[in-house]
Amino acid sequence: MTRPRSLPLASIAAFAVLLAAAVAIGRPAPSSAAEDKDQTLHAMRDEMARSRARLVLPPQPAPYYLEYRLLDIEQKTVSASFGDLLSSATSRSRFMDVNARVGDYQLDNTNFIGGNDFQGFIGSTGGVGIDGDYNSLRQDLWLATDQAYKEALNQLSSKRAFLLNLTRPPEIPDFSREQPVKDVEPKLAADWGSRNWEQEARDASSVLRQFPELYGTRIIYHMAVMNYYLMSTEGTEVRVPREVAAIEASLETQSDDGYPLHNYYTAYANTPAGLPPSSLVREGIEKAARNLMAVRNGPAAPDYTGPVLFEPPAAGALVAQILAPSVGGSRPPLASGQGFEQFLERVGGRSEWTGRVGSRVLPLSVSLVDDPLSKDYQGAPLIGGYAVDDEGVHAQRVSMVENGTLKQLLMSRRPGSDFDNSNGHGRGFYLSDPRATMSNLFFEASDTKSPEALRKQFFDLCRQDGHPWCIVVKKMDNPAVAISRQEDFSEYIGAVAGGAASGDRLPLLLYRVYVADGREEPLRGAMLRGMTLRSMRAIAGIGNDFAPFNYMQSQQFGFASTALSAFGGVQGGLPTSVVAPSLLFEDVDVRGARGEPRRAPLLPPPPMN
Amino acid sequence: MKSSTVRTHPLPILFLVLAVAMIPLCGTAGTPGDTPAVDKPKSAPKSIVIQAMEQELDRSTTGLAKATPPPYFISYRLTEQQRAEVQGSNGALLGSEETHTRWLQTTVRVGSYDLDDTHRVGGADSGSQASFGATAPLDDDPAVLRRLLWQETDRQYRGATEAMLRIETGKDVKVESTEAQAPDFSRESPHVYYGPHVSFQLDRRPWEDKVRLYTNFFRSSAAVLNSIVSMSAQAQNNYMVTSEGTRLQFGQVRYRIELFIQGKAADGMDINRYANFDWVEPSEQPDDKTVLQTAGQIVKEMEALVKAPLVEPTAVPTMLTGRAAAVYFHEIFGHRAEGHRQKDVREGQTFAKKVGEEILPPFLSIYDDPTQARLRNQELLGHYLYDDEGVPAEHVDLVDHGVLKNFEMSRSPLIGFPHSNGHGRAQTGLVPVSRQGNLVVQSSKQVSNAELRKMLIEEVKKQGKPFGLVIDDIAGGFTFTGRGQPQVLQVTPLVVYQVYADGRPDLLVRGVDVIATPLASLKKIVATGDTQEVFNGYCGAESGSVPVAAVAPAMLMSEMEVQKKETSTDRPPILPPPAHDPQAPPEKPTGDKPTGEIR
Repeated sequence: MTRPRSLPLASIAAFAVLLAAAVAIGRPAPSSAAEDKDQTLHAMRDEMARSRARLVLPPQPAPYYLEYRLLDIEQKTVSASFGDLLSSATSRSRFMDVNARVGDYQLDNTNFIGGNDFQGFIGSTGGVGIDGDYNSLRQDLWLATDQAYKEALNQLSSKRAFLLNLTRPPEIPDFSREQPVKDVEPKLAADWGSRNWEQEARDASSVLRQFPELYGTRIIYHMAVMNYYLMSTEGTEVRVPREVAAIEASLETQSDDGYPLHNYYTAYANTPAGLPPSSLVREGIEKAARNLMAVRNGPAAPDYTGPVLFEPPAAGALVAQILAPSVGGSRPPLASGQGFEQFLERVGGRSEWTGRVGSRVLPLSVSLVDDPLSKDYQGAPLIGGYAVDDEGVHAQRVSMVENGTLKQLLMSRRPGSDFDNSNGHGRGFYLSDPRATMSNLFFEASDTKSPEALRKQFFDLCRQDGHPWCIVVKKMDNPAVAISRQEDFSEYIGAVAGGAASGDRLPLLLYRVYVADGREEPLRGAMLRGMTLRSMRAIAGIGNDFAPFNYMQSQQFGFASTALSAFGGVQGGLPTSVVAPSLLFEDVDVRGARGEPRRAPLLPPPPMN
Repeated sequence: MKSSTVRTHPLPILFLVLAVAMIPLCGTAGTPGDTPAVDKPKSAPKSIVIQAMEQELDRSTTGLAKATPPPYFISYRLTEQQRAEVQGSNGALLGSEETHTRWLQTTVRVGSYDLDDTHRVGGADSGSQASFGATAPLDDDPAVLRRLLWQETDRQYRGATEAMLRIETGKDVKVESTEAQAPDFSRESPHVYYGPHVSFQLDRRPWEDKVRLYTNFFRSSAAVLNSIVSMSAQAQNNYMVTSEGTRLQFGQVRYRIELFIQGKAADGMDINRYANFDWVEPSEQPDDKTVLQTAGQIVKEMEALVKAPLVEPTAVPTMLTGRAAAVYFHEIFGHRAEGHRQKDVREGQTFAKKVGEEILPPFLSIYDDPTQARLRNQELLGHYLYDDEGVPAEHVDLVDHGVLKNFEMSRSPLIGFPHSNGHGRAQTGLVPVSRQGNLVVQSSKQVSNAELRKMLIEEVKKQGKPFGLVIDDIAGGFTFTGRGQPQVLQVTPLVVYQVYADGRPDLLVRGVDVIATPLASLKKIVATGDTQEVFNGYCGAESGSVPVAAVAPAMLMSEMEVQKKETSTDRPPILPPPAHDPQAPPEKPTGDKPTGEIR
């Protein structure tokens, strides 16, 4: 038995304790003084030059493109529960990823799933030395490049064999041609500041000791400081800093009749210093706990069809999960079996906007812009920004929908049926394959109403329908953050996954609001049905209460940005912001509480003090 | 973010993950059993953890007594781990970290000792483990620990009651074998022991320099494509309370260096070499000279192996050196003497009904003794005071002069073996089953190792074979004990020589796996050497990875079968290593010194 544990090059997935793109700063540095001393750049450059000149396995073609990516990360993670520390760790690691392409830009070894029987020696991806040492990095890059090239040859021959059986091979190129980018920014060193993060985590979480019905809770402070390197044979040389800081807390309980219930609290920032002080976090999680207790003691949701009002941040979360699968314009990969396509279809992960440029996709008053260069919304920081994307393309503002009509899609260097070039939206979690992904998404509208006017419209619709009460959603669920135990998470996802493709959405804080007096009453166990892109065309009213919703966008393979897995945690997602106002829908199906209740605990919780 | 505690329970494929004692023992033969067991450290006060666990145990026991069905057994086990690890590769650090964790596991059993929720009906899995445990607070705060204990107790109780219901139904529809009619849980007397808390103080910087030094050493050879060195320190404190009255707190500190190098033969075969050092006192840490000497030795072996010829499948007389024989016994005998395998109908039960019968040549005896901390100057990794079910470790005579006497027992009893002998072990997070500790093979038919080699050559001549084999190092192996697979074991020798009868020099060969079946092959042992050698490693099975040692003298087998090893056919790298490239000697790095760039 060999020992995968000891292979640093196999460890990347296992230690996916990471981060991905985050905020970048500044424009290209004019000076090259810093880069001259960077042994990492030196080693990458020298090994790439050697490979470009001599790496070939006759009679096979040499690679037409080689790319080295390296992520240097320092991170600090602190977790606590009810005022007690659970863990605290600071670590530094570096990971590389080597890509080789054989063939040409039109047809190469990529965008193909299946038929890869290459066994590999060490891997083209993995951990490398953290000393910034020239020699060891060259050794690692040498082996990884060799491996990547051989894998590429293998993939290309499998792909060609597969293409022979297609009556019409795809005409979309495999890789876009882009201008090389040189952007070597100053290196960023970790600075956790003078705050005592362990104590802050204890302080913030101790507020929950007063809730005996809170069965489980965990708060995690996670901060990461990264330097992202990218070098290619096209001449691109990038070294950019990235940073992210997060506080995520899960809160779990069970209703007296046995339904598991949860809530969460998050705060995201672009730097550790940007995180809220523990007094604010305390307030935030106490409020989350109070809301959870209110839901716990509230009635089970009945079935309902009628008007539903989404208020921020629920509106932003709804927009994020409905749009995410469709905003990217890249071609899907060819798959040697039918399984992949069907899988995407089933989980709602297929773009419905490719091939529809020029069509009306949203109400006439609505426009959509994705802008990685935005830093804030009216002073409130956004977290989805960067200057250079993970494929070394300058970030660009993209006006996707103008007055309801689809104009552009988000593009990585993987072309699609509508566009051939990247617009700087290739993002990948950690060093995973970059894909066209949202950054800072702005939902804009020309016919907005004040919240009061919108609520009046909402009540009017309710009355027309003859409802004594209607439903307002104030927070959408994020099970990846809200449920701390793997067993419970799997059980929950298993129970709700079936409806992903048909537009099932999970609300977290959902209220029945009485038309007569505006009184609100929390309901538990509800699920929204059939909320798809089509629903977005029929928005009945739009507020002017625009607010950013910051979250971590999940890029789980296959599930990427699908209906249920739009959201991850900071240790499994890309920082993303959506700015959206309250949204009113005239006709939404709400399914009442279902599922198997569990017996409530037999004994009361032990005293906390 | 999700803790990766969900582990599947694999088929009964057992594997021993390497570890080699690199220093052959000198001196004459002795009985390792003579070495006295290490005394327990003096007792210490009862910790806050134990107190909190006692309080919640009392509350649960009383409170759940009125439930239907009531639990008959509850236990809480908290494993506290302080771990420092420095890892490097090819001359640079990969990482350097110290972590501190606490993991809580609870067990709730319903039914009775004779029949409970863990009972296996037919070939079905017992499905009572509703939780793999939970991260417990590092702060000694009884209130928060109790909240967690309450939650976990409820989860496990719920799982146990559901499982019990399935079992009661299942029992009516399935026929049960005699073995399965043994009770589900043994009755044991409670044990109380409060040992001192253990920990280590470690400045990792000197270790970081050592890891750089050791991995840099491997760069001198072009045959070494990749190297990994890790140094680790681990202090583990165990806390356990049970409703039977057991109260335990005790700890253990261990240190380890591992060297691992990878290479590739011209035909694509991957070649690995590995060495490790284990110690328990900081003063016993091997010095650089010792480590580098071992490093030099595995480099030399690597350089020879990448050029060595392949061997064809054959069956010839074979000599195993001590450490190779130790692994061989761990696989072929040790796993089959694990008590729970005699009970499970899916197991091959090789030895289940052989107690009192001769299964080995009469000159061999085998015992397993976790109480033994050392064999002379050498650490034994399978040493512990109490097993993971809170039962004190015991010396167990498994084979006496060839005759099978006993099994390694956990608290899962067998007919005729109603009690645990302190071999219920598990990796943190998993359910204990019977496992090996320190497996020791003794022989009364000893000759010197040189004499044994002469006997090998005689045997080759007698059988008219072209050559015999000497197996000097084994990477570990795996064995199938289940019924669904043939009852074979396979070990992967790393260093194998063909030894010729005509006086030609020994030839290093590569690409072989040893295959054997248990009952037949044990009888083929002809004689043994006179020096016991130690193999320290981590053994993987259904209850996870646990540290073990195997001890044996060299062995001569009248015949052993080898087959071709499954191998990679990937070509070696196209370009030479950057540091050994004649066309383009590596550019001398300029600017910063190569190490310590950022910090």
